Amino acid sequence: MSDDARNAILQRLEAAVPRPLPSRPALPPAPEKALDRDRLQALFIDRLTEQAGVVYPVADPVALLETLARILAEEQVARAMVASDEVVAPLGLADRGRRHGVEMVTPADYPDRDRYVRAVFDDVQAGITGVDFAVAESGTLVLVHDARQARLISLAPLVHIAVLPAERIVPDYETAMAAIYAGECRPGQITFITGPSMTADIQGTPFKGMHGPQKLIVLLLTQT
Amino acid sequence: MELTTARFKETAQVELDNARTQKFLRLLPIRLSARRDAAYRSFADPEAAHAYGHAIRGEAIERLPELLKTFEANAEANGALVFWAADSDAANAYIVDLARRKGARYVTKGKSMITEELGLNDALAAAGITAWETDLGEFIAQLLEKPPFHIVGPAINIPVEQIRDIFMARGVLDTPTIDPVTLGRAARRFLRDKFRDLRMGVTGVNIAVADTGTVINVENEGNIRFNKSSPRTLVCVMSLEKVVPTMADALHMLRVLCRSATGQAAGAYITFDSGPRREGESDGPEELHIIVLDNGRSAMAADPHTREVLRCIRCGACLNACPVYGKVGGYPYGWAYSGPMGQVLTPALRGLADTGDLIRACTLCHRCKVICPAGIDHPATLLYYRHKDVQADPQMGGRGRSAMERLAYWGHAFVGSHPRLWRLFARIVRRVANRHAHDGTISRITRRTEGWFSSRDLPLLPQDTFHDRWRQGAAARKPRKEVSS
Repeated sequence: MSDDARNAILQRLEAAVPRPLPSRPALPPAPEKALDRDRLQALFIDRLTEQAGVVYPVADPVALLETLARILAEEQVARAMVASDEVVAPLGLADRGRRHGVEMVTPADYPDRDRYVRAVFDDVQAGITGVDFAVAESGTLVLVHDARQARLISLAPLVHIAVLPAERIVPDYETAMAAIYAGECRPGQITFITGPSMTADIQGTPFKGMHGPQKLIVLLLTQT
Repeated sequence: MELTTARFKETAQVELDNARTQKFLRLLPIRLSARRDAAYRSFADPEAAHAYGHAIRGEAIERLPELLKTFEANAEANGALVFWAADSDAANAYIVDLARRKGARYVTKGKSMITEELGLNDALAAAGITAWETDLGEFIAQLLEKPPFHIVGPAINIPVEQIRDIFMARGVLDTPTIDPVTLGRAARRFLRDKFRDLRMGVTGVNIAVADTGTVINVENEGNIRFNKSSPRTLVCVMSLEKVVPTMADALHMLRVLCRSATGQAAGAYITFDSGPRREGESDGPEELHIIVLDNGRSAMAADPHTREVLRCIRCGACLNACPVYGKVGGYPYGWAYSGPMGQVLTPALRGLADTGDLIRACTLCHRCKVICPAGIDHPATLLYYRHKDVQADPQMGGRGRSAMERLAYWGHAFVGSHPRLWRLFARIVRRVANRHAHDGTISRITRRTEGWFSSRDLPLLPQDTFHDRWRQGAAARKPRKEVSS
């Protein structure tokens, strides 16, 4: 049935007489590409802040953990779900959290998918993830989802805390996507995050945290 | 979705008399247009970026069959299941059957005009499956059984009191309030329960990438991400023209789409899905079904004029630019697509039989054409539809003219091509018209011409025509020296 439909649709489309393809005008190179590292970083912070993201630059992993502890206390987080990606896994957050009275869990702590989903929806107040790339042109975080980067951690809790090593900031989308698609296996899902969850659907009144996080906090690790 | 374009004038009148609609229309399109213009200025060369988008869409519609085959092969290589649906019924039947097989008592939906076009909610309801809209505006519009007022804010015109009442009636809200944020929070809690135990989610597709077999969605709320991440079965419905050749093309179209729709450099969330979840992932769909919907589009491609309409990326910028939309809002357009976007799409997909007023509700001011990031010439398309309509084009279901109108135009052409008759006719009309003049203006002649005079007057017509005066003047003028050739 679908095959018949497929062939009929394609036949009708192929019967349409094609016209010459329009020529593409020259695009100037993205101005972000001309920036040095410091200015690229400053631009990224500006653009994400415009979209209601909050960025804390931290000099080293020690400062990062201190800032993280302060944020978790401010947000009254008792339990957080942590991704096991290559950025946050080495931080040893489970131990650190215990010392500050915050329980850190990962999807692997749950026996099956349903129980993990319940936990990330109902039992944690924050999600902590690493970031694969950050794009300066629009202040965007790029998360590549795989076995170590579950999708719901950066979505279901009311606070999303993202750890971004500064060297992962790139000028434009193309640079990030070329690096991601250079790998052997295409990721099932890639997410661009530019600010917290937002809406203005009732009378044009804007507010954050419609379905996803109300707060997007980026810990920008300037030295590693 | 029911087609109510035949009631365009009637609905427009209701909206013109609705003070609340008028209040929103004075603010919303202007604000969105200003944000769009500001966002475009962030391009290094805004005009080049605009033109580049036109070229991408222009190329996509010329290469459709090839791009769709490439997309299908790559999407299947990624592990997605691709289903080609000839029409709404085929698409709806597929989705209903899938939901049944997955034991879903309900499904959730991301905001998508394509599923409005399908009438998917009704098809699911008929099978005993509830479809929950999860975009806040669509959720409110669904509860109130209203069509989308604006593609970006489907229920932005609805009074908070009305939202409070329907939320109370449907158990979304416990304690009455008219605070928009509290109402939003209540919807969050209500829909979160749906997302948590979700078996199947349905979304549209903003862009499909041929080279990588990827489907892309843009949003601000996060509801589409929930639809794509929480359930084990995901259905993405794409109208077949959404495909672009490469990821680089998609990234450029995302830049112009977000700027044109909401004036953002990027929506809060953009998701790129290439197949279902991979082995070892904690969440994400085990099955990704992509429905490639025709529903009249392959027929549109056959005619070079209607093929142009397939460029549309549904950003809604033309709504904000349109002086007619700016007075009547989204309801009169009577189907899934409103504004100039709807005026060019709906007649091509649903024919001209009921869309006679729709294609004429245009001043040909060209603002939509100028603002369109896809390069559609809406005014030219509407003139083409009007032509097809008066020609009674059988393929588009043109209605032709009434006998009276045909006679009038035939008479006009006949008299106009016989100078003596024309002069006689003009003399008679001047006399008759001037007999209805009051204080130097004519504001009514016969009942038949009332419509013409309802918004304009004629000045008193002079006794002599231009030709008469020219001849009188000739006698007084000095004879000119003939120039021999």
